[in-house]
Amino acid sequence: MRDLIQLKQSTQAALCLECGKCSTMCPLARFGGFSAARMMSIQDPEAEIDSHAAAVQRCLTCGACEVRCPQGVRYTEFILGLRPELPEKSRWSCPHGAVFQESARWAADGSVNGRNTAWLEDDLVVAEEGEVGLFVGCLPLFDVVFGSELEVQMVEIARSAVRLLNHLGIEPVVVADERCCGHDLLWSGEEGTFEKLVVANTTAFQERGVSHLLTTCAECCRTWSLDYPRYVESYQPRVQHISEFLAERVESDELRFRDVGETGAMTFHDPCRLGRQLGVFDAPRTVMASLPGSEVVEMEKSGADAQCCGTPGFIQCNRDSRRLQAQRLESAAATGATKMVTACPKCLIHFRCAQAEDRLNERQGAAELQIEDLTVLAASLLTTKSKTEKDLPSKS
Amino acid sequence: MSAPVCNPGSGAPELAGCSLLIPDVQSEPLPILPVEPAPCTQACPAGINVKAYVSLIAESRFTEALQVVRQHCPLPGICGRICHHPCEAVCRRGTVDEPIAIRALKRFVSDLAVAETAPAPWPLVERDSKVAIVGSGPAGLTAAYDLRRAGYPVTIFEAEAEAGGMLRYGITEYRLPRDVLNSEIDYLSRVGLDFETGCRVGLDLQLEEMLERGFVATLLAVGAQRGRPLRVAGAESCAGVEDALAFLRRVNHGDRSPVKGRVVVIGGGSTAVEAARSALRLGAESVDIVYRRYREELLADEEEIRAAESEGIAFRFLVAPSRLLMGDGALQALECVRVGLGEPDASGRRRPIQIPGSEFRVEADRVLAAIGQAADLDFMPAEILEQLTENELLRTDPLTAMTGLQGVFAAGDAVSGPATVIDAIAAGHKAAEAIHHYLKEGRPSIASQPPEMRAPVEYGLPDSPPVTAERGRPGLRSLKSGAEFAEVERPFGEAEAVDEARRCLRCGPCGECRVCAPSCRRRHVMLRFPDGDGTASRTPVLLRTPGNIAMGLSSRSTAQAQLLPESRPRLLREVSASEGDLVEVAPVRVQIVEEQCRGCGRCIEVCPFEAITMSGTEPDGTARVEPSLCRGCNLCCAVCPTAAAEPNALSVAWWGSRLSDAFDGRAESVNDAGPIVVLACQRRAGSVEPTLYQHSAHVEVIRFRCVGQVDAGMLVELYRRGASSVLVAGCQTERCRFGEGAQLATEQVARAEQLLSLIGDGTHRLRSDWSGDRAGDPVERPVLRMIAEVFGARPGLSGQQPS
Repeated sequence: MRDLIQLKQSTQAALCLECGKCSTMCPLARFGGFSAARMMSIQDPEAEIDSHAAAVQRCLTCGACEVRCPQGVRYTEFILGLRPELPEKSRWSCPHGAVFQESARWAADGSVNGRNTAWLEDDLVVAEEGEVGLFVGCLPLFDVVFGSELEVQMVEIARSAVRLLNHLGIEPVVVADERCCGHDLLWSGEEGTFEKLVVANTTAFQERGVSHLLTTCAECCRTWSLDYPRYVESYQPRVQHISEFLAERVESDELRFRDVGETGAMTFHDPCRLGRQLGVFDAPRTVMASLPGSEVVEMEKSGADAQCCGTPGFIQCNRDSRRLQAQRLESAAATGATKMVTACPKCLIHFRCAQAEDRLNERQGAAELQIEDLTVLAASLLTTKSKTEKDLPSKS
Repeated sequence: MSAPVCNPGSGAPELAGCSLLIPDVQSEPLPILPVEPAPCTQACPAGINVKAYVSLIAESRFTEALQVVRQHCPLPGICGRICHHPCEAVCRRGTVDEPIAIRALKRFVSDLAVAETAPAPWPLVERDSKVAIVGSGPAGLTAAYDLRRAGYPVTIFEAEAEAGGMLRYGITEYRLPRDVLNSEIDYLSRVGLDFETGCRVGLDLQLEEMLERGFVATLLAVGAQRGRPLRVAGAESCAGVEDALAFLRRVNHGDRSPVKGRVVVIGGGSTAVEAARSALRLGAESVDIVYRRYREELLADEEEIRAAESEGIAFRFLVAPSRLLMGDGALQALECVRVGLGEPDASGRRRPIQIPGSEFRVEADRVLAAIGQAADLDFMPAEILEQLTENELLRTDPLTAMTGLQGVFAAGDAVSGPATVIDAIAAGHKAAEAIHHYLKEGRPSIASQPPEMRAPVEYGLPDSPPVTAERGRPGLRSLKSGAEFAEVERPFGEAEAVDEARRCLRCGPCGECRVCAPSCRRRHVMLRFPDGDGTASRTPVLLRTPGNIAMGLSSRSTAQAQLLPESRPRLLREVSASEGDLVEVAPVRVQIVEEQCRGCGRCIEVCPFEAITMSGTEPDGTARVEPSLCRGCNLCCAVCPTAAAEPNALSVAWWGSRLSDAFDGRAESVNDAGPIVVLACQRRAGSVEPTLYQHSAHVEVIRFRCVGQVDAGMLVELYRRGASSVLVAGCQTERCRFGEGAQLATEQVARAEQLLSLIGDGTHRLRSDWSGDRAGDPVERPVLRMIAEVFGARPGLSGQQPS
C-alpha cells in the first residue's frame, strides 16, 4: 500500500484543521452522511481504509471543498491517491453496466485498434499530421448508449469542433486509433490500465507531430493536462479546452458569429474539471458573450462556486446525483434563462438524463430548459466565411 | 429424458424461489420453487407421495407411478384394494366436486406390474447384522422391506403355513384376491426377504434363541389376532356362537363349508363387516350386523359398509346383545336390548348404556362376535408379559419402538390395537428406522417425527377445474352364484384411470416425485434440512439445472441444508463439499440499494411480476422490491442505470466467478482461439453441456434465468477477457417467461455490436439465437454452428453436422 502518510503531506491534508469549511461547500454534506473533514482524519490508513471506503467512493471529486479551505488542502488529489487503495470488495458498480469502463479496458490492450472516424462528414477537413490535434474522446460511444434514449447526437460536438477549426483555417489531426482518455479508470483507482491508455494515446498523437491538443471535453482536458504528464513525461503537448482556443480567437477578433436571434437568455454551467480543476472560468463566457445579441446570466452558484452536475464521468450514479442534477436545473431555470450551456459532454448527458427521467415520471423538473454544448452552439452560429478562410489550402 | 411432473406457478404464487448460494463460490444458483407437500401426501401415514403418482398416471407414466408408490409402500396392490384412503378425505378436488379415486388408481398401476421382472438391484450396501421379524403381516413385511433396502439380512418368521398375517387370514379373497397377495409377497422374497413359515415363535422357537441364531435385533409384529370373547352368558359353550376372527381364519384356510340360516354379526369394525360378507357368500339366508353405536361411529371403511349393504346385509344400530335364546339345544335367537348413549368415556366416544325393558328378539342360527381384538402374546417371555398395557397390548417406547427387552422391538396392531393396513405400514417404517439406528449407533431412535398434519395449505383452486368429469367409480360386481369369492370390485381401465387422474388439481408446484433427479444429467444437488430446524421445511429440496422445475423450501430466511447422497458431482467439485456437508440456501431476490436509486422507474416498468413499487416522496422516491413477489429474474438489474438493483443470485460476484471459469486457468483450446462463450437462458441451456463436452473446442455455457439480464457492458467484457465469440441464446418474446427479456437482450446485443464496430478490429463474433420452439430448443445447434465457424474444420465432433 502506498504511503498514505506521504500522501497526506504532499496534498497538505496533514494540515487539516477540521474547521469544517469544506463541508459548507461540499454538495454531498447537505445530503448527510458525508464529511470531507472526516476523510482527512484518517490516521492509520491501512486499518481505516475499509471503514472509509464507502465515503472515499462517494466523493464527487468536484473540488468545491478546496475553494474555501484555509490550509490549502488539495482534497481531490488526496482522494485520487486513496482510490487505488480501496479494497477489492468495494469495487465500483459503474452505471450503465460499466460499458464505458469495459470499452476503455479493452482499448487499453494495445492489440486492439482504436476508434474509427466514421462520424466525420464530407465537408469536414482533417489531417494525418500536423501541429494542432483534436482529441475526440468517447463521443461516438455515447451516441451508441444514449443516442435514442436522450435524443442526443454527441458526435455533433466533434463535428462542430472540426467545423470551427476549419473555419479558422486549421485542419486538425484526428486520430483513428485514439482511445478513451482514461479519466474514469484513473478516478476509480485503476492506475495500471490508465497508464496503458496514456501510453497508447500519447504515442498516437506524438507520432503525428501534434504539439497543441484541443478537446471538447472538460474531463479529457484535465486528464491530458494534469494527469498524463505524471505517467508520460516525454510528451507534453499544450493542452487546451476548445473554449480557451475559441476565446483567444474571439479576443483577437479572428472569430465572429452570427446573431443568436430570439433565443432568450443563456447561462453557463461550469464543469468541475474545467473550472475549479483547470482554472478556466472566463473563456467559455467570453465566447458566449461574443455571440451577438446574446444575454448571459449567471446562476446563483457559478464560477469557482459552481455546483457539480452530480456525476463524475460515468463512475457512479446514485441518489445524490439525482438531487444535484435537480438542484442545478432548478437553479438554471431560476435565472430565467431558456438555455443552459455546457462545456463537458458528461454534464450535458447527465442533465439530459435527469430531464428524461422527469418526463418519464411526469415530474415538474426544468423540462423546458434547453441544454446545449458550447462548441455546438458556437459552430451553429458561424458566419459563412471568416477572413482567413480564403487562405485555406484546397482539400487534397 | 423423462420430464418431471411439475405444475409450476400453481397455487402458491406468493412464495418466492430460493437458490443455492454456496459460500465462496457463486456457482449458478439454481432457481427453486417452494413446495409444501400436497394435502394428500401429508395425509398418508406411510408418507407415500400421492400427488406424484396420481400426476404420473395422468401422464400415462404407469411404471414410474408404481415406482413412486413402492418408495414408501411395499404392498401397492393390497393397499390399492383395502386401504381406507385418508388421502381421499383431504383431497382438494373434494371441495370442487368429489375427491380423486386415489385408492383405485393405486390398484390400477399395481395390477399392471403383475408380470414385472425383478426390481432394480439394491441394496447399495450389504450389512452384517441380521434382523428377525416375527409376523408377516403388513407391519412386519414393511419393516423387513425397509431393512433389506438398507442392506440388512432379514428373516421373517411366520407361524402360519403362508405369509400375510391378517391380510390372508383376516380378509377374504373377494376383497383381496389370493393371487394378488401371493404375487406381492413373492415380489418381496425376490428382493431378498427370507421367510420361515410354519414357525411359531414361542412354540417352535423361543424368543431367547434369536440371539443364538445370530439375530441382533428382533421385531415383534404379531398383530392383534385374538378376538375378545363375547360377554354374554353361555357364549363360550354355545355351538352357534363363534369368534368372527376365528371364523375368518377358518374360511381363509380353505374351509368353505356352507353357512346355513340367519347370521348375526356383533360389532362395527372391519372384521365384523368382513365376517358378515364372507358368511353371506357361504350361503347364509340373511346376515345382520348389530352394533351398539350410531352408524357414523362404525369403524369399518365407508366403502365396505356400502358394499355390505348393497349385498343385502342389514345394519342395526344402537343395539347390544343381552342373552342367547336356545331351543332344542341349538341357538334360536339373540336377545338384544336398545342402547342409549351416555357420557363420553376415555376414548371420547359416548358410552352405550343398555335401556332396561327394551329387549327384543333377533332370529339367529349363527352369531359371530367381532367386538374387539387383542394380541396373542402367550408365547412372550415373562419380562414382556409383565409390561403389557391396559389393553393387553405390547408396550413400547413411542420414540424408539423398543420394548423393555434390549434389542426387541414391536410394531403394528400388537402395539396399537387393531388399525388399518396403511397404519401398519407406517408403523413398519418407523420400526425399521429405529432398528437401523439401533444397529448403526447402538441405540434406537426414530429420527423422523410423525408428519404433523399441518394446516392444509390453501392452494388456489383453478377457476375451472381440469376435466370436469365426474369421479370415476370402479363399480362393484354383483354376487354371482358359483363365483361368490371372485373379486368384487372392478378395476379401472387405462382410459378411465387416466381420466380420473387428470381430475387431480395438482396442488402446489412440485410433487417431489424426484423423477427429474436421475434424468437431470448433471448439476443437481439434493438437500435435506437437518432436524431440529423448526423454521425450515423438512421437505427434501431438489435443485435442478435450469430447464426443470425444482422443489424448494419456505421463502423465509436463509437456511442451512445438507447435501444428500444423491447429489451429483459438478457443484460438489466446485464447492469441495461432500455428502452431509452443510450449505447455505437463500431466497433468490433482488434488492434495491436505496442510496444508489435515482427513482427513474425503469425497473418498475420492466418487472414481469409487478414486484417493484416506488416508495418515498417526490422527488426523492426510490424503488422497493417486494420480496415475496420477486422471482429473481434480474431484468430490473439489467435496466437499472445506476446498479442500484442488486441481485443475490447471478450476482456480480457470480459473474466474476463464471468469467474465471471461462478464462482463467484453462488450457488453450484448438487453434489458440479464446473460448466460445454462450449466454443462455435456463430454458435454452437445458442439458446441452454433456454434448458439448465431446468437442475439444472450449465452450463455456453461462446460464441465466433470463438472458434479459445481459447488458452490453458484460458482452464487451467477454471480449476483453478473451472470448473468441459470443452467442446469446434466449426465447422469443412470445415464449419468454419474463416478458421483455428477449427484447432487452436484443437491444443490448445491438448496442454491443455498435460499440464493437467502433472500438474493435472487426474480427469479433457476436451472434444471437432466439427460439420460439415449445419444446425448449436446446442451444446446441447454434453452438455447433458457431464452433464450425470459429474453427473451420470440426474437431472432436462425433459425426454431428451443424444444420
